[in-house]
Amino acid sequence: MSEFEKKENKAKQGTLLAWFDKRYPLVSTWNEHVGEYYAPKNFNFWYFFGSLALLVLVNQLVTGVWLTMSYKPSAAEAFNSIEYIMRDVDWGWLIRYMHSTGASAFFIVVYLHMMRGLLYGSYKEPRELVWIIGMLLFLVLMAEAFMGYLLPWGQMSYWGAQVIISLFGAIPVVGPDLALWVRGDFIISDVTLNRFFALHVIALPLVLLILVFMHIVALHQVGSNNPDGVEIKKIKNDKGLPMDGIPFHPYYSVKDSMGAVFFITLFAIVMFYMPEGGGYFLEPPNFEPANPLKTPDHIAPVWYFTPFYAILRAIPDKFLGVVAMGGAIAVLFAMPWLDRCKVKSIRYRGLSFKLLLTMFVVSFVVLGWLGTQPATPELTKLAQIFTALYFMFFLVLPFTSKNEKTKPVPERVQ
Amino acid sequence: MKKLLTILSLCILPFTATVQAAGGHGIELKPAQNNLRDQDSLQRGAILFSNYCMACHSVKYMRYNRIARDIGWTDDEVVSKMAYGQNRVVDTVETRMQDGVAMQVLGTNPPDLSLMARLKGTDYIYTFLTEYYQNEKGDWDNHVLKGTAMPNVLEGIQRHATPEEYEQAARDISNFLEYVGEPAKLQRLDMGWKVIAFLLVLLLLTYLLKKEYWRDIKH
Repeated sequence: MSEFEKKENKAKQGTLLAWFDKRYPLVSTWNEHVGEYYAPKNFNFWYFFGSLALLVLVNQLVTGVWLTMSYKPSAAEAFNSIEYIMRDVDWGWLIRYMHSTGASAFFIVVYLHMMRGLLYGSYKEPRELVWIIGMLLFLVLMAEAFMGYLLPWGQMSYWGAQVIISLFGAIPVVGPDLALWVRGDFIISDVTLNRFFALHVIALPLVLLILVFMHIVALHQVGSNNPDGVEIKKIKNDKGLPMDGIPFHPYYSVKDSMGAVFFITLFAIVMFYMPEGGGYFLEPPNFEPANPLKTPDHIAPVWYFTPFYAILRAIPDKFLGVVAMGGAIAVLFAMPWLDRCKVKSIRYRGLSFKLLLTMFVVSFVVLGWLGTQPATPELTKLAQIFTALYFMFFLVLPFTSKNEKTKPVPERVQ
Repeated sequence: MKKLLTILSLCILPFTATVQAAGGHGIELKPAQNNLRDQDSLQRGAILFSNYCMACHSVKYMRYNRIARDIGWTDDEVVSKMAYGQNRVVDTVETRMQDGVAMQVLGTNPPDLSLMARLKGTDYIYTFLTEYYQNEKGDWDNHVLKGTAMPNVLEGIQRHATPEEYEQAARDISNFLEYVGEPAKLQRLDMGWKVIAFLLVLLLLTYLLKKEYWRDIKH
């Protein structure tokens, strides 16, 4: 193991840096979060997705700002302004595809990032808050994506939003008034588009940024988990540095740079050669302007919502469907307490957890596929089965995890 | 490494599948077999579009000068060939039909065709154009869209040209409409591989950089 020196938390006297450091905690902040942030040395492939999520967020913010320069948030002009961006704005097509591909990429990255958490028990003590803030991020991201999808004002934008907002109407007593309040009108209209625009470009990105900040602060307070699920802070050298830790910079900054370039390469392949993502990223019906008088034959939300949409449709009662859909997300918040096994990483956990997690992932993927399909009786039956399996994971886990037969966890990372 | 590849291939899976066009067509669609890089075809398609489609349809998101630039005409050529000198080059390509006339004559408003190729695909357009037939009463109908209000506009070509020429005309129109659907498409395709090639070089460099730094970390 290489030996790392503890770095000075102060700049050298008389330098420009010292001038700044006296007025702003530059050096100590850098050291705490980058230069002297000790991360486990055994991060694997799954650990790229955190920094990649940050990368996609920046992509969305930057391309979003440029799109806003030419986009017009009005029912009369929105669709036209998108085509104006695609045709008349220099590089507008590229910026728009970066943004639309980025939306799907965001969810791919975030789903894999969450999967990592499930695999290695990153939600467990002492990282419960990291997980909960992350779940809040996921919620806000879904709201952000949902509102963004209305903005092109195509048929799928319009009717997708129509379906989702009408769900509020299923809530007893206050439902219809609530849906009216969200829309600001009796149908989705100009006023809805305008408020979604405001929320999409200002309110929610702001919340996202604050939550990302909190997510990282919380993580750096407790330290990163790793594929072995052992706490590197337990075993320190004589300088007080974790034996199995390495400074984030330069080791993970160079490694994540490599991951970022690899990711951008895949991103470029999709963006340049299949920006429609096979009809999943940009749905064909959305190339037709929104028409409140003409319902499309088949309304499917964008792929990243389809698992939850399938759960909604699987329940025959509309209100209970809404409850199940909300519950499917809400129950994830409770993961740190539902999983009662002390062992974190799947590497040392028992067969029951491996089977349960596999079942969960399979049901999530199958539900995702079902959500894109028309609801025939057979497929609805299938959706009901996989909805049951989805919830079964959370129902069974507290019991099986209590006395799980685990393998011995090593003292240090392998 | 094997695991990594499995995960990666799973990530790419959603992109490879295509969503089947929802809503049944009357018949199976024929492949348009058009070629966006064939400028002659695009030029013929533009002229055919002007002569046979623009009486009712617009492609209102396109400007004449953009078409000229992309399919190899001068500004003067595009205006004379597509608009009989009646429009300025900066104008958008609008139908010659007066407002409201279509409603009286056809009972419907012909849709703008700027995005038809992205909405339905070129195969749909090609098949639609070539699948008119006369029913028992002798009226024109269409196999793809039964009861369409659109007349068989290519009937003249169908009667007087060879079947190959007729099919080529439909193909040229489909080709032009694919171009119109996304005028930057060729630019996108031609730029993509250069960006990807650059990224692969960068990937190699970042990999070597990572390897160099990580030499001092023992596992």
